[in-house]
Amino acid sequence: MTNNHLVNRMMTRRQMLQSTACGFGYLAAAGMAARQAQAAVNPIAASKPLFAPKAKRVIFLFMQGGPSHVDTFDYKPSLEKYDGQMMKFDDARTLAKTREIREQRVYRNLWDFKRYGQCGQHVSELFPHIARHVDDLCFLKGMHTEGVAHGPSTLFLHTGSINLIRPSVGSWVLYGLGTENENLPGFITIQPSMGNGGPRNYSNAFLPAAFQGTAVGRAGVGAEKARIRNLTNNGLTPASQRAQFDLLRAINSEQILHDPGNDELEAVINSYELAWKMQHHAPDLFDISGEPQYIKDAYGIGQKGTDDYGRQCLMARRMAEAGVRYIQVNYGDNTNNPRWDQHSNMPRHAEHAFNTDKPVAALIQDLKQRGLLEDTLVWWGGEFGRTPYAQDNGTGRDHNSYGFTSFMAGGGLKPGFSYGETDDFGHHAIREKVHMHDWHATLLHLLGLNHEELTFRHDGRDFRLTDVHGRIIHDIIA
Amino acid sequence: MIPRFIQRLPGRRLRLMAVVRLGRKILAGFAMGTCLMPATGLSVDSQSGLTRTQNPEGLEFFEKKIRPALHTHCLECHGDKKQKGGLRLDFSDGWKIGGDSGPAIIPHQPASSLLIEAIAYHNKELEMPPDGRLPAPVIEDFRHWVSIGAPDPRVAGPGIIGSGKQEISLEEARSFWSFQPLAEVAVPEIEQRDWPATPVDAFILRKLEQHDLEPSPEADRHALVRRLYFDLIGLPPTPEQINNFTGNDSPDAWSSLVEELLASRHFGERWGRHWLDVVRFAESSGGGRTLLFPDAWRYRDYVMDAFNEDMPYDRFLMEQLAGDLMEASDWLDRRRKLVATGFLLLGPTNYELQDKDILEMDIVDEQLDTLGKAVMGMTLGCARCHDHKFDPIPTADYYAMAGIFKNTHAIIHSNVSTWNKRELPQDPQTTRQIALHRAALASAKDEHRQLTGELKAMGDSIGIGTPPTLPDGFLSGKNSIIVDNSGALLTGPWVSSTHTPGFIGSDYLHDNRNTSETLTASFTPDIPNKGHYDIYLSYTPGSNRATAVPVTITTPDETTAIVIDQKTPGKVRATIDLIATLELPAGMETTVTVSNQGVTDGHVIVDAVIFAERREPGPGEAAMLARRMELTERIAAVEERIKQLESASPVIPVAMAVDEEETIADIPIAIRGVVSNRGPVVKRGVMKVTAHLVDQPEVPADTSGRLQLSQWLTDPAHPLTSRVMANRIWYWLFGRGIVPSVDNFGKMGNLPSHPELLDYLAQRFIDSGWSVKDLIREIVNSRTYRMSSQLHDQGLSADPDNNLLWHMPRRRLDAESIRDSLLAAASSLDLTYGGSHIKPGTRIEYGYEFDSSRRSVYLPVFRNTLPEIFETFDFADPNMMNGRRNVSAVATQALMMMNSPFVIEKCREAARALLSTAEGSTGTRQLIQHAFLQTLGRQPTAAEMEITTGFISNPDSPETDPEQRWALLYQSLFQSIDFRYLR
Repeated sequence: MTNNHLVNRMMTRRQMLQSTACGFGYLAAAGMAARQAQAAVNPIAASKPLFAPKAKRVIFLFMQGGPSHVDTFDYKPSLEKYDGQMMKFDDARTLAKTREIREQRVYRNLWDFKRYGQCGQHVSELFPHIARHVDDLCFLKGMHTEGVAHGPSTLFLHTGSINLIRPSVGSWVLYGLGTENENLPGFITIQPSMGNGGPRNYSNAFLPAAFQGTAVGRAGVGAEKARIRNLTNNGLTPASQRAQFDLLRAINSEQILHDPGNDELEAVINSYELAWKMQHHAPDLFDISGEPQYIKDAYGIGQKGTDDYGRQCLMARRMAEAGVRYIQVNYGDNTNNPRWDQHSNMPRHAEHAFNTDKPVAALIQDLKQRGLLEDTLVWWGGEFGRTPYAQDNGTGRDHNSYGFTSFMAGGGLKPGFSYGETDDFGHHAIREKVHMHDWHATLLHLLGLNHEELTFRHDGRDFRLTDVHGRIIHDIIA
Repeated sequence: MIPRFIQRLPGRRLRLMAVVRLGRKILAGFAMGTCLMPATGLSVDSQSGLTRTQNPEGLEFFEKKIRPALHTHCLECHGDKKQKGGLRLDFSDGWKIGGDSGPAIIPHQPASSLLIEAIAYHNKELEMPPDGRLPAPVIEDFRHWVSIGAPDPRVAGPGIIGSGKQEISLEEARSFWSFQPLAEVAVPEIEQRDWPATPVDAFILRKLEQHDLEPSPEADRHALVRRLYFDLIGLPPTPEQINNFTGNDSPDAWSSLVEELLASRHFGERWGRHWLDVVRFAESSGGGRTLLFPDAWRYRDYVMDAFNEDMPYDRFLMEQLAGDLMEASDWLDRRRKLVATGFLLLGPTNYELQDKDILEMDIVDEQLDTLGKAVMGMTLGCARCHDHKFDPIPTADYYAMAGIFKNTHAIIHSNVSTWNKRELPQDPQTTRQIALHRAALASAKDEHRQLTGELKAMGDSIGIGTPPTLPDGFLSGKNSIIVDNSGALLTGPWVSSTHTPGFIGSDYLHDNRNTSETLTASFTPDIPNKGHYDIYLSYTPGSNRATAVPVTITTPDETTAIVIDQKTPGKVRATIDLIATLELPAGMETTVTVSNQGVTDGHVIVDAVIFAERREPGPGEAAMLARRMELTERIAAVEERIKQLESASPVIPVAMAVDEEETIADIPIAIRGVVSNRGPVVKRGVMKVTAHLVDQPEVPADTSGRLQLSQWLTDPAHPLTSRVMANRIWYWLFGRGIVPSVDNFGKMGNLPSHPELLDYLAQRFIDSGWSVKDLIREIVNSRTYRMSSQLHDQGLSADPDNNLLWHMPRRRLDAESIRDSLLAAASSLDLTYGGSHIKPGTRIEYGYEFDSSRRSVYLPVFRNTLPEIFETFDFADPNMMNGRRNVSAVATQALMMMNSPFVIEKCREAARALLSTAEGSTGTRQLIQHAFLQTLGRQPTAAEMEITTGFISNPDSPETDPEQRWALLYQSLFQSIDFRYLR
């Protein structure tokens, strides 16, 4: 019994068979996926959290490349005041390369800020739609993280490690909670990037394969075409495939007679039953044709710029409704300078903000009106923020992992709340700091999982998402 | 009041902290490194002065200011519940001893106290509390408190062991089974003497008899032949091969099949791949910015060859660790030995990491971690930051071994660094040709250097290729008139720029390409006296410049129009070109005008115009000019020769291979794994827990020590090397090791189910000269290996998990076997052996199409992009050293077998091939039998025959295409459990 968390729902497969009237039936019903010989566990079946959860599922809106916090939600009047002046900043990249602190040119925020909602949260004119929902949002303005480059920081955000092989957040969540709908994958990432760690960002690493993320399409291929691999058979009529599947069932029923009681074999048979069900249920997730027009309009579907991310967000809502546990919605691409990565041309932030603002706002609104926001944790953020000074004295900003902003909604967090601060320029988080490890710990906590107890034994020791770090930020929990 | 636990703290101690690898971060624990801190480190205890702590004012200060602050800000993480970084602050000895980084407070010395450094946020790596800096007055209070000697009345309560550490006792550790010498085991006595065919059987039967269990009967011949083919060569037997075996009644039918398969070159493809799992073989670096390893295939081929040649395992290991340091018998041997060291370089490495000191240590750590698990079943990596939590590996041992790899040249630094490469030796004739070629190239370059040197020396102000009439000093204006753009008459919105260097004056101008206006710039010199003048234009050439810039030269007598290509560098200087030679009148009568009229393809640049009076060469100048001409011609000729030689350069093969560092030195312990946090220097060496069995090698001062390390590892007395490999071989044949945790022979691993058998096999392995094939032969010839996989009630109730091995485990086909079987059935499996196989021109792994039909072992293994079938069917994750593959049954596998275009296509091809063969003319039943033999290695049962003939011959089938119906039959067979499992 190595993996604490699973102990309670572990018994040998044989015990399980003995304890049920019909072994195969039980396994099929429970969506059993067999693992190694010594113990049987239905890894993806829903399981009880360790304590009462605030949230049941997560939708993570990944803003790949690093949106600038000082141009979006973290208003810094000092940037305008000192715009153009050369001042010393401990720039991370310069430090790593030269171990020197050099002067940088302060670069004003390019968009005007206003206060919104009852909470009076500052939002720049980049996000007019999201701004209308600030009273539902919880801002973390003292975020900080690890890594200087995209690869390491992206991996850190997703796995809690900049370089070591670790399971991704979604895999941990699925491992901890299982799925609510066994006809569907429990952890889905929509249009993931192939760069900056690629599949490692949704990989189960050393957790059992049942906990891996399922990719729907990939970055660069439009959301309209995004599908789960091998979900449909393009060469056969449904009747032919049905006939073939019946043939398989007949052959397998015959073969298992010669090896009675071998539950591993039953697990394989069952994987086909599951696949069959998935093939018939999962396509519904992607089919938004039945959604009313006003919903599509709200998400910006069919509109220039917003169509792609709008479709992703709407699919995410459908997945949340269908019981998918962890849904990642990616706004990214496959390059080394992904999307929000404006090293030399800050004004391009406007394009990315436009493409995502309306869909994200619609998603929050839609979840709310369906009563789903209460137990769905929505998380918006990038792998880091951007520097308050111009990179190479130009017209862009470099990466900044010392301080940045993420916002959350629903899932038991305080709405209309802001936590944490960066310094006067927005360079370093200084007060109510939340390290990425801390956020991971808090996220698990909201789902009813203890980040210190959710462990998996591998290679002779217990691993967890937060390694030996992570503090739960109780102050943001409602 | 020296607490009792301090007195038993000499030497090394094991921290109670969780085991972590921290990379570059220091955090909570500014406590640390005490694993090697001598007991004298505690003398601060007496320094702090017990009297101080009894000083009432000091105590009052503590109570009023410090105790509440500690309580509010520190104790959550450094108290009785948690001791981050091994540090606790809830009683005075906690901070005196400190955590992993040593004492947290030096009384009276706030500037030297880590605690003050941390709360002051002076050190980026060490900021406490982590969620934000304390208010300045609180920090000031702490500083004051430390400066008055840190009075602190708090004493550890009974039962509190504080930041106590445990000692690693090597003596005790050596009693653990895997550190014991191989036992001299006798083949056990058993009752059923007629059952064993080999000693292996006696060991297995002995345990079964002790538990009153019967071994399963021998498997049927179809099951056996399929089992042996997949296990030894990883390929399905053809129907003909199956029939050959099942129809062979001779008593040595089995053993001769064993010999045949051991001798097949496919054996190396199968068993080499096993080893590639163990050494995390991959063809890209993975991580955030994955780089291709275009030469990794050489290592893969080396491994396959080694298994095919049955290279002794001890030599195999030595070559991988230190092949470059070993004697070689000839150039081929030398080549092989260099390639072998690729083992050290194949790891997942973040070459992008900007801090190269950390990068180097990360590589060392990866090498050591892989080596430890692969060869010794020891998780050495755990000791990078602190003494191993479970196994007797102190940090000092780690850095003794790390020193060996730190002195091994593994990386070439750059912004994005790369692995070390070495040129491979060639046959003697090629070597001679290469030498000749290199000599020719070197001499041509020498000559070029000499000639250009002479030309340069002839006159600094005149560049190479300068027209002979160009007067000295023309750029300084001594013999010429320069009109800069600042003196030009401009029309239109010219834009000033300094972007491209080489301009005259303080800037140059470019047209604003966004404008539709016509721009002109006119330069009018004051010519001193009438004469012939060379007119030069200065501009800064570049790829975004215009290629046809109109220039007009107007004198009272004539107007000359010229077109200038500003993309191309000038011939006088890169930025200066001679545009005309004209007779000019004295005075301001001449105007040179540059404009953008009609220009469409780039920027127009204006910088300056230079007018230089022509004159005849003076005495002595003529000879110099002649020499200059000659040099210029010769230089051109040499340059041409160099170009030709370079384009004809022989391609010299390179391998990923290591070398020794130029300077060799021991390295310090990196406290808590933080490279910049230097602890004591450790002598290069090996771990000491085996010192009672194998002598600790002496590492000579001028070598890294890899050779000594490899000799130590392969010493027959080493208790781990032979056991670990013998166990792996067993695992690869039975699907479960005698020690199930094949990569972990430490405390956290599993105990051997049959320790005597393991020691017998390990000894046998050594005695046979470390022959892998001998050991496989011995095992597969046993009756144990040939048992049926059928379960029976007696066994199920007594030993449901088959720990005693009363039946052959059913084993899942791995990804490679599934793919190779599909290709084989489709008659499209390409059995070519070895060689590079990444498609030419591939630059990045993303989007790679794995559409080859060669055996799976040749598909490129990219860390971030695996072939779909590998990813789906539990291929070894190349990001981690992995001796044991996962076995999963998940819906994505089923979906792939149902809907993947690859599977569908192969089944279709198999159907086509079946229908077009000679058997095509025969009946449905024979065809079905053939398909069963191809896929399941056996004849269909009567029921299966009925089901499948029913499917094929169903007149009402929705599938009207007969070939498609056969394809669907194949697909069903490939999906069936008897395909997926070896019986």
